[in-house]
Amino acid sequence: MNAEVFRVVRTGLGASIQDFGRPGFASYGVPPGGVMDDHAAAWANRLLENSPEAPVLELLLQGAHLEVLRTAWLVITGGDAHCNLPLWRILRAHAGEHIVFPNSRKGLWTYVAVEGGFDSPRYFGSASVYPRGRIGKALAGGDVLTRASGSRLALPEGVAGRAIAADERHDYANPPLLRVWPGPQWDLFTHTDRSVFFQQAWTVSPQSDRVGYRLEGTRLAPAQRQILSEPVLVGSIQVPPIGQPIVTMRDGPTVGGYPKIGLVEPEELSWLAQCRPGTQVRFKLVT
Amino acid sequence: MIDWVRYGPQAVLLRFAESVGEDAFQLGRAIIAELQRHPPAGLIECVPGFTTVLLRFHPSQTENIPWLGKYVVGQLAGLSSAVAPTEAAIKTIPVVYDGEDLVSLAEEKSLSVGEVIRLHSEPIYKVYLLGFSPGFPYLGELNPKLHTPRRPTPRPRIAAGSVAIGGEHTGIYSVDSPGGWQIIGRTSVRMFVHEQLCEASKPDEVFFLKPGDRVRFVPVEGGAR
Repeated sequence: MNAEVFRVVRTGLGASIQDFGRPGFASYGVPPGGVMDDHAAAWANRLLENSPEAPVLELLLQGAHLEVLRTAWLVITGGDAHCNLPLWRILRAHAGEHIVFPNSRKGLWTYVAVEGGFDSPRYFGSASVYPRGRIGKALAGGDVLTRASGSRLALPEGVAGRAIAADERHDYANPPLLRVWPGPQWDLFTHTDRSVFFQQAWTVSPQSDRVGYRLEGTRLAPAQRQILSEPVLVGSIQVPPIGQPIVTMRDGPTVGGYPKIGLVEPEELSWLAQCRPGTQVRFKLVT
Repeated sequence: MIDWVRYGPQAVLLRFAESVGEDAFQLGRAIIAELQRHPPAGLIECVPGFTTVLLRFHPSQTENIPWLGKYVVGQLAGLSSAVAPTEAAIKTIPVVYDGEDLVSLAEEKSLSVGEVIRLHSEPIYKVYLLGFSPGFPYLGELNPKLHTPRRPTPRPRIAAGSVAIGGEHTGIYSVDSPGGWQIIGRTSVRMFVHEQLCEASKPDEVFFLKPGDRVRFVPVEGGAR
């Protein structure tokens, strides 16, 4: 039985259902999509004993407001938006309660997972919403979220909760040095460009979204400005003629004509995803 | 000569031609057909570019990528454009040539509007790849007389069905979206029928074109917009 669990009173700056995306359709121009911070979303599902593919609610920054319609186990992870409930631990939310995310303090993306996962239509095998490409719809105020049947969660008698280890909680204000693989056009970049890229701290631009994150700093001067359009992977560091890199994110285009100096190690892309505008990031070459 | 380069921990980018053209197109199709018939271990998907093919592998293959790159190049060594799969039928796309950039484009090229229409609707185009948005085809080859850079500032909204020129390519907007290509016309044929997308949909049921198809534009008289 699917059950109504939340009413979205307000979406805040952005709310959508996401899972781990739909890789495999790039030949049709469909990006993989999926949760921006797979580390935080995966932990939310793991604490609830959900399958890793269970859809979660992804919230951008702040302003979201949920009303609990039916008592359920849930977990909130990711960005800290001054939620009235604690993050990174299993919670019992009771019918009639309200969950609010009034004030973003750390990170960009917050995840709400419910036991069994949210029930949402899967297009090309995934519930990840990609409004720009007309695959699924972003949530709107008044929408009701249902949870899928099949929760496997049963906390042992006497166990009041479950939380993740403190060292698994990322400090989003202080990303580590992110590893970068050489991109397909590595050879088109001069030694100077490579040094400029790896030796400076880049600032994440406010012009960043699910499509791509722009980096501000000392510009590169790519010798070759354009290449014949070729397939682009999520995490690619593209350098347009203006010399300010753009990192392709989950909803980014599947092809591109800018030279790519590198690719952010996929396991570390979640760190970049949670970098608020103004956050400084540094990169190091995979060795 | 097929070459390869590693693209991150789990992918290989094959480069198989120096420039676009019939030979490159056929060889690209032959490579993808061969990899679909005999996929190397752990292959998740093959994505075509103009002169490249991206091979994405399962994360468990990370350590084997250097070996897989060499193996695939060996597997494809005997291929030539002559062994391409059977020809796709030519799909017809009626176009009303009344786009907002049509007149300025003709003036810039010192062509009449009629000549622009003739040059654009003359070739049988090849669908090299889909990208930019779901179902958006990159078509080649566009007559060099019509090559036109993208607009310096993209328009905030271009209607689905707009037929456009961007650099050396022509294409069709598949959904309403921002865009910087020069708009020369419109078609009623939908590249992506997103309203019909349902859980059971397969790509070929909602996307009009796929890589490897061939298309012809047929000029038609305009009705109301």
